[in-house]
Amino acid sequence: MLTTVVGNYPKIPDRPRPPKLRSAIARFDRGEIGADELRRVEDEVTVEVIGEQAQAGLDIITDGQIRWEDDQTYFARRMDGFSISGLIRYFDTNTYYRQPVVEGPVRWRESAVAGDYEFAAVQSPAPVKAAVTGPYTLAALSANHHYGSLRELVLALATELRNEVLALERAGAPVIQVNEPAILQQKEDFPLLRQALEAMMDGVRTEAHLYTWFGDIDGVYPQILELPFAAIGLDFAKGPANWDVIARQPFTKKLGLGIVDARNTRLESVEEIVGAVRRASAIVSPDMIYVNPSCGLEYVPREVAQAKLARMVEGVRRAGEVLA
Amino acid sequence: MSKGLLTTTVGSFPKPDYVVQARNEFSLGRLSRKELAELELKATAEVIRLQEDIGLDILVDGEMYRGDMVAFFAGEPGGNTINGMKLGGLVRSYGNRYYHKPVITGKLAWPGPMTLEMWRYAQSLTDRPVKGMLTGPYTMVDWAFDEHYGDRTQAVLDMAAVIHQEALELDKAGAPYIQVDEPAATTRFDEMDLVSRGLSIVTQGLKAKTVTHFCYGDFARVFQQIVNLPVGQLDIETANSDYDLLELFRGKQFDKELAIGVLDVHSHRIETVEEVVAGIRRALEVVPPQRLYIDPDCGLKTRTWDEATAKLRVMVQGVRQVRKELGID
Repeated sequence: MLTTVVGNYPKIPDRPRPPKLRSAIARFDRGEIGADELRRVEDEVTVEVIGEQAQAGLDIITDGQIRWEDDQTYFARRMDGFSISGLIRYFDTNTYYRQPVVEGPVRWRESAVAGDYEFAAVQSPAPVKAAVTGPYTLAALSANHHYGSLRELVLALATELRNEVLALERAGAPVIQVNEPAILQQKEDFPLLRQALEAMMDGVRTEAHLYTWFGDIDGVYPQILELPFAAIGLDFAKGPANWDVIARQPFTKKLGLGIVDARNTRLESVEEIVGAVRRASAIVSPDMIYVNPSCGLEYVPREVAQAKLARMVEGVRRAGEVLA
Repeated sequence: MSKGLLTTTVGSFPKPDYVVQARNEFSLGRLSRKELAELELKATAEVIRLQEDIGLDILVDGEMYRGDMVAFFAGEPGGNTINGMKLGGLVRSYGNRYYHKPVITGKLAWPGPMTLEMWRYAQSLTDRPVKGMLTGPYTMVDWAFDEHYGDRTQAVLDMAAVIHQEALELDKAGAPYIQVDEPAATTRFDEMDLVSRGLSIVTQGLKAKTVTHFCYGDFARVFQQIVNLPVGQLDIETANSDYDLLELFRGKQFDKELAIGVLDVHSHRIETVEEVVAGIRRALEVVPPQRLYIDPDCGLKTRTWDEATAKLRVMVQGVRQVRKELGID
């Protein structure tokens, strides 16, 4: 049983630790430092959060997505056809992102994340997985002013984002994670999601994971197991129904077990984590489980994220002893 | 006061530079709370003068002493903190903006007046009505972490009792309008009943006119529930969506007061008088002038003092023009 995270990690710590990235972006915005200096601080903070994840004892980590302003614009900004518009709420959170607007044919120009992966891989003592926002979610969270339908936009994005996946494969990422939280809000679009992801992942040889959050997969299970991914990540905090859903039919893939609530500061006890891991182990073989938080950790303060990861790792260790 | 198209604002005003600097100095421990409080009173008086000078009908205290609409009640220095809440660590809101997200750590209870003193002070500075400004129970809970309840309904109902206590204090003191903002209300369509239950507890038995402000949501999908909320006035943002929301009211039974935003508070651009007039005329097609209030889309705290002033002057100019046309000036 391995431990990992879903994606982002809090960018700044609380006082008295200095908010390096926040200060650097503010100085960059005022024209006091250049892009190179900002990049240097991003690198420094990335190394810092890689260290924190490794220290927590995670088996697979991410670069913390320190450079991402959000899951959508980090990719949209680097593609043709998008402009970036006003602030809009991210699902039911109190976090906001600037909405991408599709104004012309979308076209991939350059990789958003392959360079980030290469940097993190050199710095990290643990394997690094790289994440890409999926075509359905990117389309659903953008305003479409160009394509005749959501379907056309999703399929166009799948073709273009395939380049992102291939760039990560060339860069040597051991695991490529595709994020599709939006499908849980619009499950009737599952056939479209399937068509898009099959096109995007065609011929990809790297181990690929599909992650969802903020809901459950009731209504798209077991079909979701047919998608071209080795693992499916589920949120058991905002989607407690997932427990019953995955017990209905054999779960034939690896399971991303999101049991630590990444949207609340209440610390799970080690016993709670052991209990959840044992419950999952009755449904999926323990060597097929990745234990992780319910979603990216940026919704909680940095210190809480650290504490939650430490508890999670301890819980998995204890569960391993019990199950052995 | 005019017989219609009364003008007001949603709550916050930009903080003058000396307040921003003083808050920063205070957070670094270089300024005492008392010194900061004196500057907040000075700025509040300036905001009242500014609103009178611009010619607004219903004033606000400008929230010079509040950082964030939820955190103010949950542990920001200077305010009286709701029992069972504290400020948590820093969380990112968007871009490079972070805030201390509040945490519910125990049973929620009213700690004594939180906004009364500043309302009294602001009202003492002017003959015009000053609104009492509160954050609604649903938003208070939704924008906080919960380490105590584990049950949103119970947390919202307890919070509603707390906010109700505060509203009663303002009501007893004579606040003519009490605004209870619920910007989180349109986040989850399946919880509108809870929003409504919370607000009905807050507004129960108040003599004051009650107002609720909404923003950032799919208003259309919950229109009917919002129209039925237990408040006297709904305040919605319309300028930033080309007044499309007004179409929802066309041909519908609607007997509350409606406040519409005619200034986009997230844009630096100053609206033209013609744009404001056109917006008001569109609103008049669905609500008569006696029940129509004119304000900015949302709080003005993210604009500069000069931008806010310029925008509000245009708003008042537009209102005066329409009043003249209607013969109610």
